[in-house]
Formats: sequence, C-alpha cells, structure tokens
Amino acid sequence: MIGLPVADRRTVRRALRDLISRHRRAVGLVLALHCAAAVAGLAPPWLLGTIVDQVTAGAGVATVDRLALAITGCVAASAVLTRYAQYAGHRFGERAIAELREEFVSRTLGLPVSVVERAGSGDLATRSSVDVATVGTTVREVVPTIVIASVQLTLLFGAVFLLHPLLGLAALASLPSILAVTRWYLRRASPAYLAEGAASAELTETLTTTAEGARTVEALRLTDDRVRHGTTRVAVLWQARRATLALRTVFFSVVEASYPLPVAAVLLVGGFLFARDVVSLGAVVAAALYLQQAIEPLDRLLIWTEQAQRGFASYARVLGVGLVPPEPPGTTASSRGERLVVRGARFSYSDDGPDVLHGIDLEVQPGERLAVVGPSGAGKSTLARLLAGIDAPRHGVVSIGGCPVTDLDPAERRRRIALVTQEHHVFIGSVRDNLSFAAPDASDGQMRAALLTVGAQWFADLPDDLDTQLGDGARQLGAAEAQQLALARLVLADPHTLILDEATAALDPTTARRTERALAAVLVGRTVIAIAHRLNTAHDADRVAVLADGRITEIGSHDELVAAGGAYAALWRSWHTRVDEHPR
Amino acid sequence: MRYLWWLVRCQPGRVLRGSLIGTAWMVGLSARPYLISRAVDDGLRERDTRALAFWVVVIVLAGVVESYLGIMRHRTMTFIREDAKARSAEVLLRHLSRIGAVLPRRVGAGEVSTVGGSDIDWAAQVLTLTGPGVGAVMAYGVIAVVLWSVSPLLALCVLVGVPVVGLVVGPLLRRLERAESVYRGQQGALTARSGDIVAGLRVLAGVGGRDLFARRYAARSQELRAEGYRVGAVNSWIEAATIAIPGLFLAAVVWLTARMAVTGDVTIGELVAVYGYVATLIVPVWFLLEGSHQLIRGRVAARRIADLLTVTPDDVGGPGRRWPGTRPQARQPGTAPEARRPGEPVAPDGPADLHDPVSGLTVPAGQLIGVAADDPAAAVALADRLGRYVPSEVTWGGVPLSGVALDEVRARVLVADHDSYLFAGTLRDILRAGADDHDERIGVALRAASAQDIVDTLPAGLDTPIDARARTLSGGQRQRLRLARALHSEPEVLILVDPTSAVDAHTEARIAERLRAARAGRTTVVIATSPLLLGRADLVAHLVGDRITATGSHTDLLDRDPAYRHLVARGSDDPDLDKPADTEEVYR
Repeated sequence: MIGLPVADRRTVRRALRDLISRHRRAVGLVLALHCAAAVAGLAPPWLLGTIVDQVTAGAGVATVDRLALAITGCVAASAVLTRYAQYAGHRFGERAIAELREEFVSRTLGLPVSVVERAGSGDLATRSSVDVATVGTTVREVVPTIVIASVQLTLLFGAVFLLHPLLGLAALASLPSILAVTRWYLRRASPAYLAEGAASAELTETLTTTAEGARTVEALRLTDDRVRHGTTRVAVLWQARRATLALRTVFFSVVEASYPLPVAAVLLVGGFLFARDVVSLGAVVAAALYLQQAIEPLDRLLIWTEQAQRGFASYARVLGVGLVPPEPPGTTASSRGERLVVRGARFSYSDDGPDVLHGIDLEVQPGERLAVVGPSGAGKSTLARLLAGIDAPRHGVVSIGGCPVTDLDPAERRRRIALVTQEHHVFIGSVRDNLSFAAPDASDGQMRAALLTVGAQWFADLPDDLDTQLGDGARQLGAAEAQQLALARLVLADPHTLILDEATAALDPTTARRTERALAAVLVGRTVIAIAHRLNTAHDADRVAVLADGRITEIGSHDELVAAGGAYAALWRSWHTRVDEHPR
Repeated sequence: MRYLWWLVRCQPGRVLRGSLIGTAWMVGLSARPYLISRAVDDGLRERDTRALAFWVVVIVLAGVVESYLGIMRHRTMTFIREDAKARSAEVLLRHLSRIGAVLPRRVGAGEVSTVGGSDIDWAAQVLTLTGPGVGAVMAYGVIAVVLWSVSPLLALCVLVGVPVVGLVVGPLLRRLERAESVYRGQQGALTARSGDIVAGLRVLAGVGGRDLFARRYAARSQELRAEGYRVGAVNSWIEAATIAIPGLFLAAVVWLTARMAVTGDVTIGELVAVYGYVATLIVPVWFLLEGSHQLIRGRVAARRIADLLTVTPDDVGGPGRRWPGTRPQARQPGTAPEARRPGEPVAPDGPADLHDPVSGLTVPAGQLIGVAADDPAAAVALADRLGRYVPSEVTWGGVPLSGVALDEVRARVLVADHDSYLFAGTLRDILRAGADDHDERIGVALRAASAQDIVDTLPAGLDTPIDARARTLSGGQRQRLRLARALHSEPEVLILVDPTSAVDAHTEARIAERLRAARAGRTTVVIATSPLLLGRADLVAHLVGDRITATGSHTDLLDRDPAYRHLVARGSDDPDLDKPADTEEVYR
C-alpha cells in the first residue's frame, strides 16, 4: 500500500506565505488592531505606577481621580479595539478555512481512483475529517490566541525596556529556562497526545462495538473476552495519559517556577537603580506589574504552541493531497465503435510484485453478454478494472473501438463504460442529488422513469418525492434500495458498456434476487461483462469465460462449455444435479 | 448523584490529597501580591537593600513552591479523573457484555457511543470539584481575611464585587459557547459532506459527476463562511465585554484604594497588593462558577450512565444464569451433570433431537440437515426459536428448551447469523472468539470454510489487525470468516443462516463438501437455498411460510416437490419475490 504524500516543511511554509500575501491587507489590519488594543491594555499598570509616584509625591485626590478616570478610559478603549481586532481576525480566518477546505475537496475529487485505492480510503477520510478540522480550529482559535499573546508579550516587554533598558534586560531572566523546556516538550508532545487520542477513541469503540455486536457476544459467549479486551484498552489509555502527564509535569514545573524570576530580577535591579535615583519608584512598580501581567499571555502562548504544531502537521497532510498529480485528461476525446478488445494484458499491483493477470486475450462484440466466472483470487476483479480503464495493463492493451481505454478523456470514458461493484454509496442529499450527477440534463420525469425501470417501488412512498433527503440523519436506505438507486443512476448515465463486478454479492439472497431483476432492466441493449458468483448468471450469458490463476482457461457459450466437459461443466453439474433433468 | 459519590468513595485517599493540595495551591496564589507589596514597602521605599534582597529571595522560593503545588494538584486531579473514567468504562463494559442479544432492542448503539465517548468524561470532570473546588472556597476565605486587615471597606467591595463580575461574565461566556456550538454543528455537517464525497469517490469515478459535487460543496462551504462571519460579529462583542467588565471593576477598586492611599488609610505597598488580590481572586471565583456548571452537566451524564447500567438481560422465557459468575464450559457427553436448582428441567446430557412445533421441524441429533426457506424472515425466526433467542415451545431431547439454563443453551447451541458481528482485533482473535487456542485448530476451521486464501493474502497472516465489521474485506471474505469462526467454536448444535450467499460457486462447492466433513457426527442445521449446500445434507426440509411442507433428500425433493425445485433453481420469476415487508424484516 502506497500512502498519500505529506507536504514537507518547505512546501507548507511556502503555502503559508502565499496565504498571508494573498490576504496581505486583512492580516495587516488584524495585527494593527491587536497592537492598538494591547497598548490600551498596557496603560493601567503604567497609570497605577504614576499614581504611586504622585501619591508618594503627596498629590491630592483630584490627581488620583484624573488618573483613575484615565484607567477606565483605557480599559474601555482596549475592549472596543479588541472587538474589532477579533472580528477582523475572525473574518480572515473564515475566509482562509473556506478556501482551504474547498481546495481540498476539489483536489480530492480530482484524485485518480487507483491512487486512492492503493493508499486506502481510510487515510483520505482521516484527512478530510480530522486534518481539515484541526487546521480549521488552528486558524479560528489557535492562531488568534497566539497572535494576541505574542503582541501583548512584545509590548509588555517593550514597555519594560522603555521604562529603563536595564529593567528590560532583567525582565528576560526567565527566557533561557522557558525556551529550553519548551523545546524539550514540543519535541515529545504531539506524538504523545496523538497516542492518547487514539487510545481514547479505541476505548469508546470497544464500548460501542460491544453494544452493536451484543447478540454475537451472547451467541459466542464472548463476555469474558470483551471484558478482557476492554480492560486492556483501559490500561493502554491509562498508560498514554500517564505519558502525557509526565510531559506536562516537567514542562509546567519548570515554566511556572520560571514565572516569578523576571519579577524578582526587576525588583532587585529596580531597587539598585532607584537607590541611585536612576528610575522612579513608580517605574519599578509598573515594571513589576507588567511582568506579573505578562505571565498570563505567556502561559497561553506556551499551552497553545503544541496545538499550533499539530495544526501545522495537519496542514502538511491536507496539502499533501494536492501533491498527487490529478487524473490526466485523455489524449483522445472520443472513439469510434464499441468493440472491446483485450490483447496480451498483464498486470501487477506493484512494480516488483507478481503478475495477477498473465496475458489475457479477449474480444467482446457490441451488445454481447459475457459472464466471467472463476474461483476467488483468479483475477476477475482486476480484469474488470482494466476493462473499465481504472488501471492500465503493465503489458498489452485494452481498447474500445480501437482506442486504448486509458487514453479516453476520463469523463467520456465514464459516460461510455460503467463499472458497478458490490459497493454502493448513498450520498447525503436529496434523491435528485443522488441521481442528477450521472446525467446533469435529466428531467424529473426521466429520473422517476429511471427509478421505476429498476423496480424501486419504494420511491412512491417517499414523503417529498425527488426532494426527500437521504443519509446522515435523514432517511436511511436499505442495501437493496441503495443498489437500486445506483442502478437508476446507470439508466440515466446510459453507458453503452456495463461491467458488473459481483454487483449483488454483498446482499442477502432474497434482496440479491430482487436486485438482479432490477438489473435485467438496465442491461437491455448494452454490452455487458458480468463477473458472477451465481452460475445462473453464466447460464443466461451469450458467452462464458472461465478465469483461473490470471488466465482464461475456457471460453465459449454455456452449452459449448458444458459439452466440453471441463472445469465449468463439472461445476455446473454439481450445481444443477438433476435440475436439468426436469426442464421447466 | 449516587453514581458520582461512588466514584469519589472509590478513591478517598487521593481525593483528600487533592483537596489539601488544591487548597494550598489556591491560597498560595495570593502570596505573590503580598510578597511584592512587602518588597515595595519594606525594601524599595525604605531603600533597604537587605530587606529587598530578602523579599526577592522569598518571591523566587515561593514561586518554586507554588509551581510544585500546582503540578501536584494537576497530577492528583488527573489521577482522580482518570481513575473515575477507567472505573466507569470498566463497569459499563462489564455490563454491556453481559446483557447480550436484547441490548440492541433496548438501547441504540448511538446512545452507547455518547455515553462511552463523552458522558464518562463529563462525570469524571465533576470530581475536579473535590480538589480546586474545595481549594477555591478556602482561598476566598484567606483573601477575605487579608483584605479585611487592610481595609474592611475595600474587603467588602472586592469580596462582593468579584463574584458579581463572575456572575455577569459567566452567562456571557455560556452564550459564546452556544453560538459556537451552532457553528460547530454546521461545520460538522460540512465535514460529513466531505467525508461523504471521499466515501463515494469510487462511485463518482464509476459514473462521473465530480464537478457537480465540487460546486455543491463549495456552495455549502460559502454558507458556512457567512455563518462564521455572523457568529464572529456577535462573539467578538461578547469577548470584548468579558475583557471590559473585569477591567472596569479593577479600575474602580484601584480608584477607591488610591484615594485611601492619598488620605493615608492604606500604604503604597498595600495599594499594589490590592491590585494583585483582585486579579488573584478571579481564579477561585472562576473555579467555583465553572465547577457549578460542571456539576450540572456531570449529573446529567451520571444519570445516563446509571440508566445504561440498569438495563437487564432478558431470560427469554425461562431460568437465566444458574448463579452469578459461573460460566459453564461446553460439556462433553458423559461428564457429570452440574448441580442445578430443584425443579429445573434437566437438559439432555448428550446430543439430542431438537423439535420445533411451530414449523413441525425435527432436527435429528448428529445429522446435517438443510432447510430451504421461501421466506427469509421465516428462516430467521426459525433459527431464533431453535437457538432460544425468543420464547418458544421448542423441545430438546423432549425437554422444553426454555426450561434449560440459558448459559447451557448458549454453550451447546450456536446460531451463526449471516450478519453476526466481527469485532476489531487480529484475525486470530476474531477466529478463536475468546478461546485460547493453537493455530492448527484455527487452520482446520479456515480450511473447512475455504478461507485460507484470506489469511494468505493479508500482510501479516493471522496477526493482521482487522477493524470492526472487517470493512476492509469483501462481502464474501467476511462471510467465510464468520463461518470459520462458527466452525472453530465446535458447538454441539450449529445453526448456520445463509453461510455462503456471497461467495462464488467454485468456493461454495468446496465449502459444501468440507462443511460436511468438519461437522461429521454433530448436529448441524444449514438454512440456505443453494443446491450445492442442500445437496450435501443428510436430510432437507422445505419451509413454506412458517411450516415445513416436505422433507427428504435433496434429489428426492427435486423429484417430488416442484416448488422446491423452483426455489433452489433460483428462477428469476419467483412468485414470492415482491414482498418488501418480509425482506425489511431480514434487515432488522
């Protein structure tokens, strides 16, 4: 399995720079507003220092009143500025996330299916849910917090420097220890927290699946096993929590013990300077208060840095999807004819892996029905994928109307050759949404007719006709209904060639039979290649190909193969012992 | 509430430690303003270098002690919460795995996942009150005493003012949370859509329509952005208010104190200290407000946990477990029967015939019998009766099945549903289903289910981890794994429902042959319509609706019973195909 790529640090940085330069004005505005708000927020301690000086100098009540009023004014100004800064930041964040997720989805939609399948859809699903959400939270919450905290810290320390450069130097007393421990912590934190999250999710899953599989637990008497399994999960989670706790223990101990250092240093240096009348008492008090005030943003900054780091990692994974070259547009827009020809096709799933197909030769005439049978692992599904143009043969050629299928424009190819597998998916949205994408120009009447063609009588009972919402909290379709919906889509798409890869295998027998009947309505007038596990499908086909170990071992009409007395004939006999002797 | 109290009582030592450290830490927070004020008053103002140095050293030391207390508080509280979570999870798990088949009928899986995912956390969060909660009350008291000694008037203002500010700001923040949660809901819906697109990617690749989906998603994304703007416009005001209100209160206190400093009622150092106390007092007040909120949420969560714990197992019309804690092993014929309660019917000691009066089916001991049902719902109902998942009149060796202890029925009779659950774990874990076993026996079962190829193609063979429901495997592979698991557990009576509906004919033929050998001499019921399976049965019964209409060998029935012939030939013009109501049943 080849995973999807992850963007390297350089690419991520470049993407971030692009993002900021695209929104240069918005970013500038946000920073300016936050600076102004922070300056207004810095005034109160400074004014308090002034009060101290004035009172020491023996000023009257009127002076104090004036200064106190100034404090009130600054608080109000800071609040209003904060509001606009937050709002501007919020808008920028929303725009950035919207751009990011839309880009992600459009990139995802452009991915070649073979890449997704080889990487496993789980990876992509995690990126679309967890990573996009993590980046979203980072942009919406973490980045603003970090920006505000950084601005406040810069200004607070700057203010102390302004009071007196020596006080400013003293204020940096805690920097070495905090920087060192933060580096230490960040290097370990993300993996530890991810492990904790995974362990926690596993425990929840154990509980949920135990409930879902309750009948099986009782039938197979798995009670003790489930409890043992859960106890292990609890222990794993406990270990993971202890690991993160150990990290925090070191980190917070050092950081919190470092917080009073600047205050202490400023008092000491301030005392020295005050004794020599270099600074006023008020200046020292203000510096001490500034540094006391700096603890809170510093704390916030440190706590959120880990989140920011995680956001960065997620962003790298989101960008990684964009690194996969999109499905190449075809070199040929259309082909003449519908004759499907396979010549000497060999295929293996990896470059150095063994061949799954060893030189397949096959011709299918327009309108012909070919059944492909064979034991599991013979390469039937692989052949279906080659015929549908999802994979290209390593050797040999698969062509339609004389043109290699992989050279066809993807959209054109899908319109001509449709692959139906046992997977079916009902998209969140209305019935119309679920049908219209196969044929954007189809009218409502055509959609209803298509549903009727495939025997979807349940459609008549839907409350809102074509507008009935399906999936995710709305109406859930059963497996058969979902498969019928998929078939109705095919009727609308109207491809001339259908490749059925055990389209009904995942259904229970009765549903499978109903679906097969619906399918029969779709097959009329098309070339059909059916990979079948039911022999009656083979019986009804024009020709049957038996696939074994990646080779076609027998091919011919049902009667020919039965008469030939090979493997197919043996199978047929065991299936229909005596039934043949009682013709209907 | 009782549940929460139980969580506390389970760890008295830890909770006591949490309270003590929480108190010390919270009180310690107010030390720094005091120490700074002393440094200013005694050291700076008096220009006394030694006093200044002394107080500075004390500030640094106090910082170290406070950081130690802080981290110990955090550690203790984390352990308390984790202990509570682990305890809740274990209790729930034990209970859930004991309830059995009735669970899905009583509780939705969604509910279990909410309880397991968040309620356990909420309930544990309440325990935070035992540490910093207690500490907050104590710290409030200490600051009150100190402030009183500075000035009773100031003390009164601050002690009343800070909680009032908290009460004003708290609801604002709550509103912020609510507005956010609306946004989050929409964001979740959008994430679901992108997940939906990822899940349906293959469908889109097969039929087309990618552009349409990209446009649709972009439109929704823009809607969310607009909603984000709206939320941001309101929320930024609320956030500003949460800054302004405490700030203005602080300004008022400073004003008052400064005027008192002018008149000489308080010293300059005290002026600085009061400023610090107000800032410090916000911490305990905030903890208390947050704590009351947590308590409300935690109680709801605890009630839901307790509700789930009161769901009781169903004994399906007969005695249930013999006594708590026993788990009878599959008894071999001939071993001494276990002690039983007086009046309890005696289960047959060895293999015995099962008889179902509703359908008229008799399952002879030690034979492989096939049941061809024209109505899948009736087939499932029959399996449920034979396996005692519903009350019924079924007899086992003449004894009413509902009279036998349920544990014993489960140990000796296994109904293998075609959708029985596959739990997450390695392939070996899945197959051995709780038993400790060697790979040879697993290999035998895999061979019988013609499933070795699944193991061979997986990267780590039997050690490959598989997710819940084995979603990564195909329908046919899942079905063969279920069959192998059922065969491996070697029950005295095995009832298989549609064991091969998703496998290809080649494989089905192999399974039919091997199944017979694997179950030789043991009672086996195969409910299926495949001629390959039925052809290998000792006896075949034709179930029409709820009644058995014919029994005999497969070839015999093909000769005698046209409806049977029709059923197993799977003609496409089957008259019973269009009964949606019946097939819906199968899915439940």
